[in-house]
Order: sequence, then C-alpha cells, then structure tokens
Amino acid sequence: MTVAIDSAAVWPEDAEDVDEAVVANWFVREGGDVDAGEAVCEIQIEKVSIDVPAPATGTLVERTVAENEEFRRGDVLGRIDPD
Amino acid sequence: MSKPASDPGTGGADRELTMSRAMVDAVAAEMRASDDVFYMGEDVQDYGGIFDSTEGLLEEFGRDRIMDVPISETAYVGAAVGAAQAGMRPIAEIMFADFVGVCLDQVYNQMAKNTYMSGGAVNVPMVLTTAVGGTYNDAAQHSQTLYGLFAHLPGMKVVVPSTAYDAKGLMHAAIRDDDPVVYMFHKRLMGIGWMPAPEGPKTPVPEEDYTIPLGEADMKREGSDVTVVTLGLHVHRALEAAEELAGDVDVEVIDLRTLVPFDTETVVDSVEKTGRLVVVDEDYQSFGVTGEVTARVAERALGSLEAVERVALPDVPVPYSRPLENEVNPGADDIVAAIESIK
Amino acid sequence: MVGANTIQSMYEDMVTARYYEERLQEVYLEGKQPAFDISAGTIPGELHLAAGHEAAAAGVCAHLRDEDTVTAPHRPHHVAIAKGVDLPRMTAEILGRETGLCKGKGGHMHLFDPDVNFACSGIIAQGCPPAVGAAMAAQKRNEDSVAVAYLGEGAVDQGAFLESLNLAALHDLPVVFVVEDNDWAISMPVERVTDVENTAERADGFDMPGVRVDHDDAVAVYEAARDAVGRARDGNGPTLLDVQVHRRMGHFMGDAEGYRPDEDQERAQRLDAIERLADDLREHGVDDAELNEIRETAEERVEDAIEWARDQPEPAPEDAYENVFVDGTAAASGGED
Repeated sequence: MTVAIDSAAVWPEDAEDVDEAVVANWFVREGGDVDAGEAVCEIQIEKVSIDVPAPATGTLVERTVAENEEFRRGDVLGRIDPD
Repeated sequence: MSKPASDPGTGGADRELTMSRAMVDAVAAEMRASDDVFYMGEDVQDYGGIFDSTEGLLEEFGRDRIMDVPISETAYVGAAVGAAQAGMRPIAEIMFADFVGVCLDQVYNQMAKNTYMSGGAVNVPMVLTTAVGGTYNDAAQHSQTLYGLFAHLPGMKVVVPSTAYDAKGLMHAAIRDDDPVVYMFHKRLMGIGWMPAPEGPKTPVPEEDYTIPLGEADMKREGSDVTVVTLGLHVHRALEAAEELAGDVDVEVIDLRTLVPFDTETVVDSVEKTGRLVVVDEDYQSFGVTGEVTARVAERALGSLEAVERVALPDVPVPYSRPLENEVNPGADDIVAAIESIK
Repeated sequence: MVGANTIQSMYEDMVTARYYEERLQEVYLEGKQPAFDISAGTIPGELHLAAGHEAAAAGVCAHLRDEDTVTAPHRPHHVAIAKGVDLPRMTAEILGRETGLCKGKGGHMHLFDPDVNFACSGIIAQGCPPAVGAAMAAQKRNEDSVAVAYLGEGAVDQGAFLESLNLAALHDLPVVFVVEDNDWAISMPVERVTDVENTAERADGFDMPGVRVDHDDAVAVYEAARDAVGRARDGNGPTLLDVQVHRRMGHFMGDAEGYRPDEDQERAQRLDAIERLADDLREHGVDDAELNEIRETAEERVEDAIEWARDQPEPAPEDAYENVFVDGTAAASGGED
C-alpha cells in the first residue's frame, strides 16, 4: 500500500481561487529514500514556490507529475512506499 | 514559503538539490560554524534573494546576520572589505553582476588590491556573490556575465559553479579562503521555479561539509577528438552538443569552475590529447576568457594545437528581443557547428 | 489655481497610463500560465509596471515641452506616456519588434525617443547624471529647456543621485529630480534602508530647494512642479521633488509580495489618484458621461497601440550586430562566420 503525495494538502489559503500549478523541482529520484516531513518537491502556484513535505518515511516509488509539468489542485504528485 | 536553511532539501543520501539550495546549504553551515560570517545584500532578508541565494537564511540567523542594505553598493561592498580586514568573513551580494559598475572602485581598487598594496600586511577574506547571465530577455543592463572583467583585474579569485554539488563545495571553499573570492552564480542554473533550469545543475548533494579547491577544473566528459572548455550555463550546452555529436565526434568537455586561479594543466593536457580546442563563453568574445584559454594553450602546447574555435558573445551589448538575444548567446547548435568546423 | 483644461489633460495621461499597465499585465501573462516562466510569452524578461505612480508623471510632465529632457528608471511607461513618447512604437519595443522605438534592442527598461527627448536607464539612479548633462547643454547654449530625472525612493541612497544633486546645485543647472516614493525598494521598506524620513530634506545638504508632496494628488504635484520647472527654466537652479505614490502591482510582474503586509497593498488600492482627479473634474462641471468618454478614448488609444505592435515583425537575427557604433563599424567579433 503506497502513500499518495496529495497536492491539495499543501495548497495555500491565499491561492484558493487558483486550480492549476506546476512542479518546479523534484528533490528525490524515483527509488530514492525520503523521510517524513522533508521536502520531496517544490511546486509553483502563480510564481509562489511551496515545498511539499513527504507524507511518510519510505521510498519514492513514483513521480506522477514530472518536473515542469502542470497539474490541477488535488492531483497526486507522487507515491511513497512506506518503510 | 520555502523551508528554513536548516533543512534545505530532503535529508539522507538520496536528496538532490537545486543550485540555489546547495549555495544556501553552505552559507548556513559556515554561519553556524562562525559568528564572523554574515551576509549583506539587497532583498536578501524577507525576499530571500531575488534569485533565491539567501532563501530561508533570515529565519535561522535573523536580521543582524542576514542584512538588507540600502541600494548603496559602494557603501556596503566597501563595508564588507573593511569588515573583512577587521577579521570577519562577510559575504556581500551584488544583485546582478551588471550592477558592479556602480561600485567598481570598492571591488577592484580596494577589495582586490589591499592585500598586495599592504605587502601582505592585511588581507580581505570576503566573498562577493553575484548573479550572472542572460537567456531570458532581460536586455543589456541585466544579462551580462562579465566573467572576463572580474578575472582580468588582479587580486580576486573568481569561481563559477555549474552544478549544485560544485555550488556547495565552492561556497565552503570561498568563505574559508583568506583572499577575496567572487562567486558568480548563473540565474538560469539556480533552479528557480520561474526560470526553469536545464537538465544537469540539480545534483545529489551530501549533507556534510566539503570543499572544492579553488583552481581545479572538472572533466565533465572524456573524449579524444575535440576539447571543449567552458563554464557556467554553457557547460550544460556543451554537454548537450557533445551528446548530439556522440558517435561522430568524441568530445571532451571541461568545466573550468574557477577562473582565478586557473587550471592550466587540465586544459593543456586535454588539448595535447585531442589537438583541437573549442572555447565557449557567455561573456563578450574579445579580450576575455576565450582569448585567455586559447593563449595559455598556445603558449604551452602550440605543437599539439591543430585547430581552435571561439564561441562567445560577439562583442555587442545583450539585445532585448528574443531573436536577437538567441542570435548572440551561444546555443548548443553553435557549439556543434564550431566542433564540426574543426573536427 | 489649476484650470479645468489642465486637470483634464492630466487625467487623460493618467487613465491612459493606468489602462496601458493593466493591459500590458494581461499581455505579459500570455504564455506564462499556469507555469510562470519569465522567458516565455508575448513579453519576456522583467516587466515593472507603474500603476499607482501616474500623478508623479502627469503632474510634472504637464509643464514640459518636447525639447525638455526626461530620464526615467526601470519603471518608465507612465512617464513616457505623459512626456508624449510615441505609444505604438513604445509598445512595439516592449514586444521586441523591429519597428519598436529601439528596434527591439532596448526593451521596456531601455526606451529612447529622441523626438521628445526621453531616455531610460534600468540601473538604479543612473538616469540622474545624464539629466544633469542635458541641463548642462541647455545652460551652455543659453536655451531655456530643462531636464527632469525620475527615480524611486530606493534610489536616493545611491551615489549617482547624491553626486548629481551636488553638481546640479553647484552650477545652478536647470534640472528637476523627481523621486517617486512608493515606500518599497522591491521588498525593502523605506525605514529599513534609511533614517531620513523625508527625502526632500536631502536637498538641504546641497543648498537646493526640496519639496515633498505627501499625497499623490496630481494637482498638488502640478503646483509643486510649476515652481520647480519654472525655477529651472528661469535659470535659478535645480529642485528636488519628492512625491508620495503607491505601488499597486508589485515590484515586477510575478512578484507575489509575500513580504508586504496585506493592509499596505489594500491601502495602495484604496488611495487612487485617478479617482481623486475625477472628483476634481466633477467639481469643475465635467459629468460622468464626459469622464467615460475620456476613458474610452484612452482605452481605444492603448488598444490600437497594442494591436499595431502585435502586427509588427520581429527583428532579423543579424540585426543584432548593428548599432554598436554609429558609423557602422562592425563589433570586434560580430557577424563573422
């Protein structure tokens, strides 16, 4: 059972009227280890950058949204296989 | 919005950092290690640096050590010189390298010369950070690299990282160096969300401190046919060109990383092997880096040198309009053409 | 006393400038959403818009003639409009087109229109010395033209500004320094970068008049500028004018202003010099239908300029090698191969 990295969880209050964003940077490759709470990627919503923390400790098994790719609020950004 | 400097990326061995986060990682570590290190610049506090060069540092170190300054480069760059001579290790940032014009005296007549003029009685252990480069249509006053200007004027060391790994190691080395070091970071490589970086500058970066000695070039790709010597953004463009030619021409790519001191040996050894040299630079062509590299090779390995090409900004100010800037700023295609012309 | 015709003329400049910036904001964001890539879209590079600064432009430039020189900083559009810069060609320049004011070489921070003696510098405070030089030329030739240097309040801590004040005062040069004080140097509030609360007081140190207009009322600016420009034109030397304005659109497009208190931005939106001037016109008997007509005319002018600019061709790549020197000398390495 993998844990989804949910983009809606980090959506800032002052961007409630915005539904699209882009992944600016991934900090871990697929197959890499992550610790819960540490940034796995950085998303950009209307030029504001937001770090997305790992929801669990484990292995990043999938980046569902690629770097520089656009996504909509609520889209899953990636999946972590927890330890 | 970003994470504090104490945790600039993910933890663990698998983390990859953008160049800006790697820079900040090193600055933060040096600031933790010594109260003598502090950072001055415009918009380095709440903004975190226009190009993210100080992102998150204010939260950890406060306004006394991460200092916003008036738009008074002469005063604060000169103040860094004085604080350095008083034994501190200041870092002063000029927002764009283009802005050095307003404070050049403090840079080249004070910072760079005080050690020599004093016969070594004083030294100036400071770092001057500055953003360089074009490719985003910011026109003539905000797009220059000026690598050759800084490297030409004696008395300052000059580093130009092209990857996150190098950015961290060179920053540690720069802050610890007892001489003034100009640390020139290319905007396009920083990994800023609004200025997407090419593939390449984001790399794994160890959590622990490490230094990259000033004056050591990095062999990015080994090859036997043509040597490409370059720095900054154009390291990645040269690698792209080499990849495109793979199978046809075996291209060696050297990232200078440091202009002063200059790693002549690595460049000369390579040309002795390949016999062909292409020097690629985003700075103006004449009287600059491309001429200097070529001259060093000619002086030491003239017999091995069968052909030379220079690919650089053709001595015009950086024009604004997209087709004009694309024309003058060397692309991977220009590097490919230069390699093919002498292969 | 300022007459209705003058107020109406300033109002026209201000609504034109405001609408221009609003439309440029939209054009700039073409191709930049949802991912904001600064090098993408119809207008690449930085874009510094001047919504909230219009009174400082209209109130001063109302006193200027074509032969008077104006230098503007990185945020120049409103001043250019008030000075009478060719709007379609300025727009074409901002869009990087061949028929732009500078053939696409300058861009929005580097607009030059010699027909009305307008020039820019994108480097903070560096337009001040050339304005002093234009004034010097007028003085030496016994002409009664004047020069005006625009700069932001963040620029007054720069040597080029302070040195220019001294040189201008020393020779009683016909120059007016206009500081547009919008309280912010990108993310740095005034109080973080200087202990001098009132920029106009800096003039005291150079033995020249310094005048603060502490609300961005175009009529108040007009009256202060009448004295300053008149003094310059009459050969009595320079003046420093410090005008309070408001930054309504961030430092540059894409500036999320995370450092700025919400109430400060809300205040900038609330205190609108254009609305204030509309009230002045109503007091002079101009009715809402006439005000609407002025706005519609201005909007049409802006739309025409943008439409014309969009239709213009981009410069040919090889044009990059021209204009390094006036005599056509090729750049040292340019155009080879």
